[in-house]
Amino acid sequence: MHADAQPCMEPGVETHMGAAAIAAVAAIGMLDYDAELMLRVKDGDGACFGVLLEKHRASVIHFIYRLVQEQAVAEELAQEVFLRVYRSRSSYEATAKFKTWLFRIASHLALNWLRDEKHERGQERLDDASADLPVRQVSDRRPTVEQELVYAVRLREVRLAVAALPEKQRTAVLLHKYEEMPYAQIAKVLECSESAVKSLLYRAYETLRARLAHMEST
Amino acid sequence: MPGDLGRSRLLRASCAVLLAILLATAVAAQQPPANPIDRWNRMSPEERERELAKLPPGRARQIRQRIARYNQMRPEEQKALRDRYDTFSHLPPDKQQIVRDRLREFRRLPQARQPVVHREVVRLRSLPEAQRQASMNGDEFHSQFSPQEQQIIRDLTAYMAN
Amino acid sequence: MNCPIQSRDPEKLVAYAAGALDPESARALEQHLMGCADCRSMVADQAAVWQALNAWEAPPVSPDFDERLYRRIEQGVPFSWWERLTRPFRPMSLRQALPLTASAGVLLVAGLLLYHPDYIAPAARSGEIVRANQVERTLDDLDLLRQFGTADSGESAHPDAR
Repeated sequence: MHADAQPCMEPGVETHMGAAAIAAVAAIGMLDYDAELMLRVKDGDGACFGVLLEKHRASVIHFIYRLVQEQAVAEELAQEVFLRVYRSRSSYEATAKFKTWLFRIASHLALNWLRDEKHERGQERLDDASADLPVRQVSDRRPTVEQELVYAVRLREVRLAVAALPEKQRTAVLLHKYEEMPYAQIAKVLECSESAVKSLLYRAYETLRARLAHMEST
Repeated sequence: MPGDLGRSRLLRASCAVLLAILLATAVAAQQPPANPIDRWNRMSPEERERELAKLPPGRARQIRQRIARYNQMRPEEQKALRDRYDTFSHLPPDKQQIVRDRLREFRRLPQARQPVVHREVVRLRSLPEAQRQASMNGDEFHSQFSPQEQQIIRDLTAYMAN
Repeated sequence: MNCPIQSRDPEKLVAYAAGALDPESARALEQHLMGCADCRSMVADQAAVWQALNAWEAPPVSPDFDERLYRRIEQGVPFSWWERLTRPFRPMSLRQALPLTASAGVLLVAGLLLYHPDYIAPAARSGEIVRANQVERTLDDLDLLRQFGTADSGESAHPDAR
């Protein structure tokens, strides 16, 4: 568990160093609000964990879903993410934005799952996951059968294109597109340099343009 | 051999340190974990003022007054409250919020109804589980308490030990 | 402006296609696009990718997600004092533990000096800072618990009666 939590000091020491870090960062007004909530969870305020869960639940699940492309698996992995957040509360230190830490845990778990699954199944996983298709709202009227078919085909193209990206490129695209994370933050989530993130995104978008640019919008 | 003697001394020193830590931790483990107010009271005055300075003056003044009221409670009263808070704080986050909501609703009940609801919670807590459920499902319970009062009683009975 | 493709700076085009470029940069890029077919093509393709990705909605979250999570949290074993004590010593031998303990002690003193160089003694008792917001929330909870606890003794738990 501690491999995924922020680095912690020896018991008894962490509080002093953590308090010093919080005091220093808070003094210049940079402490991220979510990190402040997490520090309250560390102090025993369980309600703040509920606030963090409410705020980040959907985005974590959706992020993992788009990575692994199975809803049930995404929810299981997301449960594990929040479980790890809660269980590591006593050693939490606000040395990065909370969301960065949260998505770093989510990325690790999802990528580990993908690597385990790669040996088991392959392309068929996407076909099996057709039950995960979300209900699409097309204006206020019920979509026609033709519209539904077109949507299903387009969605499959998008899912296949994203699934075909190497894992790190895929993760970078999802963080950039759906979480609107800046390059610096993506770099911290993926634990690489900012220039590496730029390179990942450049190659990923190049591949996606080649596969998806022909699709006409409805 | 010198090396053996050194290692032996090192081993004895390590054992002594370990034993000291074990004893200290065992002593600490006898005491219940302090709530945030008790931990606040253990901070230095400078540390407390530094924290309060981050808040608007009015709010900081209110906190000082409320802490003073807590500290001036009779010891037995403070201990009872501390025990109640200890139970509350060990609830999972969602249950804490439920208790918080019900206590707020309780506070808004008419003055005359509060002792009645309180006595019912205490009465139900003293019953075995099966009897408790039977009581809460009975006609008398439904006729004596409004739906809101029934919910307050159910949840506080379920989650509050005292 | 320099051509983003030729100067190997295509992020600008990606950001523009996503509508994420600041107005001044967007205006400068639009000037360039009027005369650069390659960049126009890339922007059009990237916009199509963006639209395609926009259409990929994730399924809704199960309504019992939180309930399942809290159940798992409840089933988890909290850190015991024993785990916290033994963690630094596992899987090290006793001989290796002493330098570790000594290092921890040095770090502890360093931490105290870093946090409060000119007033160490009271902080050294707990070494922990409780934030004023946390104190306030605890006071709110204590008030709720106290008011419930005294509801049967004639004291009013009405919010206006404080």
